[in-house]
Amino acid sequence: MLNLRLPPLKPHLNWLVTVLSGLLAAVAPWWRGPGLELAGLTPDWPLIWVVCWSVRRKAWQGAVAGITLGFLQDALTNPYPTHALGLAVVGILAARLQKQRYMHEDFISIALIVFGMVVIAETLMALQWMWLTAFAPAGMASSPLGSLGSAGPRSLESIWWNHQRNVLTSAILSSLWAPALYWPLSRCWHSQERDLQ
Amino acid sequence: MSRLRQWRRKVGGLLLATLALGAALSLRQTKGSLLVEAYTRLTAPLRPVVNPEEVLRQAATRELQALVAELQHQNRELRRLLQLAEQGPQVKIPAAVVGRSADHWWQQLTLDRGSRQGIKVGDVVVAPGGLIGRVEAVTPNSSRVLLISDPTSRVGVTLSRSRQMGILRGTGSQEAILDFFDKNPQVEVGDVVVTSGLSSLYPAGIVVGTVRAINLDASPAPQATVELSAPLGFLEWALVYPYAQPAASPS
Repeated sequence: MLNLRLPPLKPHLNWLVTVLSGLLAAVAPWWRGPGLELAGLTPDWPLIWVVCWSVRRKAWQGAVAGITLGFLQDALTNPYPTHALGLAVVGILAARLQKQRYMHEDFISIALIVFGMVVIAETLMALQWMWLTAFAPAGMASSPLGSLGSAGPRSLESIWWNHQRNVLTSAILSSLWAPALYWPLSRCWHSQERDLQ
Repeated sequence: MSRLRQWRRKVGGLLLATLALGAALSLRQTKGSLLVEAYTRLTAPLRPVVNPEEVLRQAATRELQALVAELQHQNRELRRLLQLAEQGPQVKIPAAVVGRSADHWWQQLTLDRGSRQGIKVGDVVVAPGGLIGRVEAVTPNSSRVLLISDPTSRVGVTLSRSRQMGILRGTGSQEAILDFFDKNPQVEVGDVVVTSGLSSLYPAGIVVGTVRAINLDASPAPQATVELSAPLGFLEWALVYPYAQPAASPS
């Protein structure tokens, strides 16, 4: 009886794992554990998740995952500027790399891809901050408290300082931690593919 | 043979007795210094290490706390004599920090108390050390705080010594930049920075930090680098208190 019921359960379980791991990746930066923090920054878990998802999938799937995770991160921080743009680009690029053709799928290449993608995503964030500071009304470039008057636009200096810090620190930390998320997720998705065949 | 042994035993006993008496006498004469020394040495590893600096610092802190309580009391009495409108003791809501920024661009905290416990958007958040930020979003059981170290945060502050006013903006680190209104501010390294009474968003007189460096040539206004006094990276709990903005209140 149990054997008969198990096989149809497994695809659902895989989707559950996917959804839960995505949600966990979105809230993971809240938690600062030993080894997870370098100069006050954590690994960029949402980005690592998007890269892990996208490397074996099509570009549009990567984009959807990137936008979804980006919206989740917007929800947890502030919607302007949006994280979805950077993560969508990351998803598309990671899928476009068509990694199987150039190199083996292993931890090292995942770590390298994550390193590059952090740089791209953070640069897109910085450019968005520039745009918001330069063109948008003051309220948009700031937090929801803008209407209360306790917020102001970021200075260019602080944007690029923040960008530099994120790129240097977070890229190293994220690429070091990427295999920790990639290994269980790829195991799970591989088994899903095998079942579908 | 046995006689020799007996004799030896007697002499030995006598010698031992003399030795014991002599040792006891010498200890008595020296007020047991050897014994005390030996005891102190032997039990040294068992005693807790006392760091005199630490003890002194704790004592000094206690003295200062007592002094602050005393001055607050005097201040309240004097205000009562002057019949100044007294702000009643505010209800502070203690909350634990359950999460930090969810990305690398915003400096935020998540607290485990929300609207169900009486927290509203715009409430002021302080921690051991001083002001840390304002509540920017609440859910029934959690609230999100924008820290004063966030680059978009602006706090109206004043120097407690010279009453020079300015605006403090975060830099994403433990240091913040103070832009003065005055072209020629009276400011010195070490000045204490507190929230300004003219700021309608924060109650006056909450400690924010101390001046670490001054740049009078900065454009468009003189600047000072302020080290925030609350350790924003290590916070484990915070106090939230509702602050009715003077403009909004009926008085």
